[in-house]
Amino acid sequence: MNTHDPVAPIDPVGPIVLEGLTVRYGERLALDSVSLTVPERSVYALLGRNGAGKSSLVRCLLGEQKPAAGRVSLLGRNVWTERAAILKDVGVVPEEPNMPPAMSARQIARFCSRLYPRWDAAGVEARLKRFRVPAETPFGRLSKGQKGQVALTLALASAPRLLVLDDPTLGLDAVARKAVFEELIGELADRGTTVFITSHDLAGVERIADRVAVLRQGELVLDEEMDALKHRFRRLSFPAALTPRLEALAPVAVASRSWGIEAVVAHYDEERLGSPEEGGPEVSALTLEEIFIALTGEEAER
Amino acid sequence: MPPALRIDPRDARPIWRQIEEGVQHLVARGALPSGTAVPSVRDLAKDLQVNPATVFKAYQRLTDAGVLTVRRGEGTFVADSPPAASDAQRLGRLREEAVRYASLAVTLGASREETVATLEAVWRGLKDGNGKAEGDEE
Repeated sequence: MNTHDPVAPIDPVGPIVLEGLTVRYGERLALDSVSLTVPERSVYALLGRNGAGKSSLVRCLLGEQKPAAGRVSLLGRNVWTERAAILKDVGVVPEEPNMPPAMSARQIARFCSRLYPRWDAAGVEARLKRFRVPAETPFGRLSKGQKGQVALTLALASAPRLLVLDDPTLGLDAVARKAVFEELIGELADRGTTVFITSHDLAGVERIADRVAVLRQGELVLDEEMDALKHRFRRLSFPAALTPRLEALAPVAVASRSWGIEAVVAHYDEERLGSPEEGGPEVSALTLEEIFIALTGEEAER
Repeated sequence: MPPALRIDPRDARPIWRQIEEGVQHLVARGALPSGTAVPSVRDLAKDLQVNPATVFKAYQRLTDAGVLTVRRGEGTFVADSPPAASDAQRLGRLREEAVRYASLAVTLGASREETVATLEAVWRGLKDGNGKAEGDEE
């Protein structure tokens, strides 16, 4: 196990650095001066509701779209001017994998093998087998999930320094989703690759990401270590008999329930609240999904 | 896969700590006797569907604490005489779980006697059962 062994010098800049990234579609601001840094060998998850700006951010990240303002540094280089050279070291699984529909996974793999200096042909066959994706079926006839699995297989075959996964488990059933995460975990164990992932599968992300960012209407409202995030958020449940002084708690979300009031606080402080034994609220930890809903859902205080 | 090592997303403890304390707990209960091989980082990460770095961190802390020992080329094993958790650690965890149990008892309207007797019976069962308890199968 050498996840932490220095196989290559750590890039002090970070494999991904975004500075003031701004994207406009006409009047609409899709990304509002977003800055973030993805540390080397981390698994960085970017979350957001549909339309929050994730896709625009990923397109800019990969040099497929020019931002109105801001800078993207990928593996320490300018993605807009040096795209072709950089992408040899980046494995990409796009949201809608687009490959020649008449070619089979095996044919596409053979074609790709000539483009990359390092190519793990045996790994391709092994992964297709584990995913149970037919290697000879034309790409266009594969299911959406299988297309994504082919894209992941090809992305891993070039032993990339950085993996960019745009919702890789979208449209997959539970079994296929597990298979995708297992491949990803194997890759992390073997090579400690840096991973940038967007996903709606928050339970899956919660287990593998060590840093989380949340986009809300084009704005980065959170960018934090997973452990720290889980540590500070709590749900407080006040039965009807208790009337909490909500202003003092500064909750990020409040909901009225049939039995009382529920508030999510972002900076939990046990000392200040008192425990249920002392007539305080019931306190519970939140899953990443619950934190996400509190930050971006209808009940989030704007 | 060690019996009953689980990750709970509703637990405020970080995943690496859940693994660390889970292994410590299994060792203390005798479910993982001295000399038992524990799964490789890679295998456990796949089983639990977590980042291998997280398992690695837990194993490293357990090794530093003398609960696990690494034999070069062979793998990771439960140490010959694993130390018990520190008093503060043990009592802290004990209180945490006690609050949960006691809250449930109050909710169910159990008497103090019922609550204590149930705890006593479960405790006895675990001790006598040589580490094998209900819900431990799999």
